Amino acid sequence: MAGDQQPRRRRDEWSAADIGWTALGYLISGMAFWGFVGWLIDHWLGTRGIALGIGVVIGAGLGTFLVMRRFGA
Amino acid sequence: MYGQVSVLAKETPHWWPPKVSDFILPGWFYPWVTKFTVMVWIAVAIVLVFFLVGYRNPKIVPGRWQWLTESVYSFGRDGIGQDIIGHEGIRFAPYLTSLLTFIGVMNVFGILPLFQVAPTAHIAIPVALTAVSYVLYIYLGLRRHGFVGFLKVMTIPAGAPLYILPLVVPLEFLSNFIIRPFTLAVRLFANMFAGHFILLVFTLGGFVLLNVGAGFAPLSALSWLLAIVLTFLELLVALLQAYVFAILNAVYIQGSLAEEH
Repeated sequence: MAGDQQPRRRRDEWSAADIGWTALGYLISGMAFWGFVGWLIDHWLGTRGIALGIGVVIGAGLGTFLVMRRFGA
Repeated sequence: MYGQVSVLAKETPHWWPPKVSDFILPGWFYPWVTKFTVMVWIAVAIVLVFFLVGYRNPKIVPGRWQWLTESVYSFGRDGIGQDIIGHEGIRFAPYLTSLLTFIGVMNVFGILPLFQVAPTAHIAIPVALTAVSYVLYIYLGLRRHGFVGFLKVMTIPAGAPLYILPLVVPLEFLSNFIIRPFTLAVRLFANMFAGHFILLVFTLGGFVLLNVGAGFAPLSALSWLLAIVLTFLELLVALLQAYVFAILNAVYIQGSLAEEH
């Protein structure tokens, strides 16, 4: 319906106020969560920071994936 | 003015530098009632009086005051509620307009003489406001979708391939339930706190530069000039941050009510 077009556009425009923070949130939560999992694996296997590093990199990648999924064209 | 300047320039006064105890009222109020508490009460009173007086004797052709309150309310209802949430947004108009006016008044305290600091520059107040918003959007989502349905809406990104879900679901969860309220509170707090700091640095910096020597007097004047200019900027930031807080509340409510994000 034509009446539905206007609110949707305004909504997208204004949730843009949140995009920067959401993107940052995805990146940080990605690195923090999978970094933490990597840290646990480090403790378990006795490796010294290798799994932590891998976890942080994978987490950053996944965070980027989510940002692109949500805001990318 | 000149007497004050010369006193400040001569020696370090007893209140320098500002301390936490400056925010505490004398007497038995401690620690329950601080100056921030009183400012919040005053802000509540201002908002209440503004709307109650405007609507005390409503007419079909509104008077000036009624017109003003109606404009503010319709800005909250149509400009935020209906535009962001859609038809259901009317339900949330009182909440959104209250947020807008309450935070707006508190933020403007940051540049009013005698107040000089916004209550929202104290982390407790944005945190309390965010807690209300957090409970509200989770409650609405749970009522609309049920527990499992709401978790699905909040944690499963639309159209992501199945094999990647175990990797990204924890991130969506963290982002929507932990980072989001955190950033909502910190954005308001940090903006007002930084604004307060900037004004303080330039105003007191003027006095400190005067203290250094007569040669620094032009710099001191420049510092005060900047303080005046930045006060106008702070007015803009105060109103904008109130607007952004209300808008983001509407966006989150809409996200809880929508079928997918």
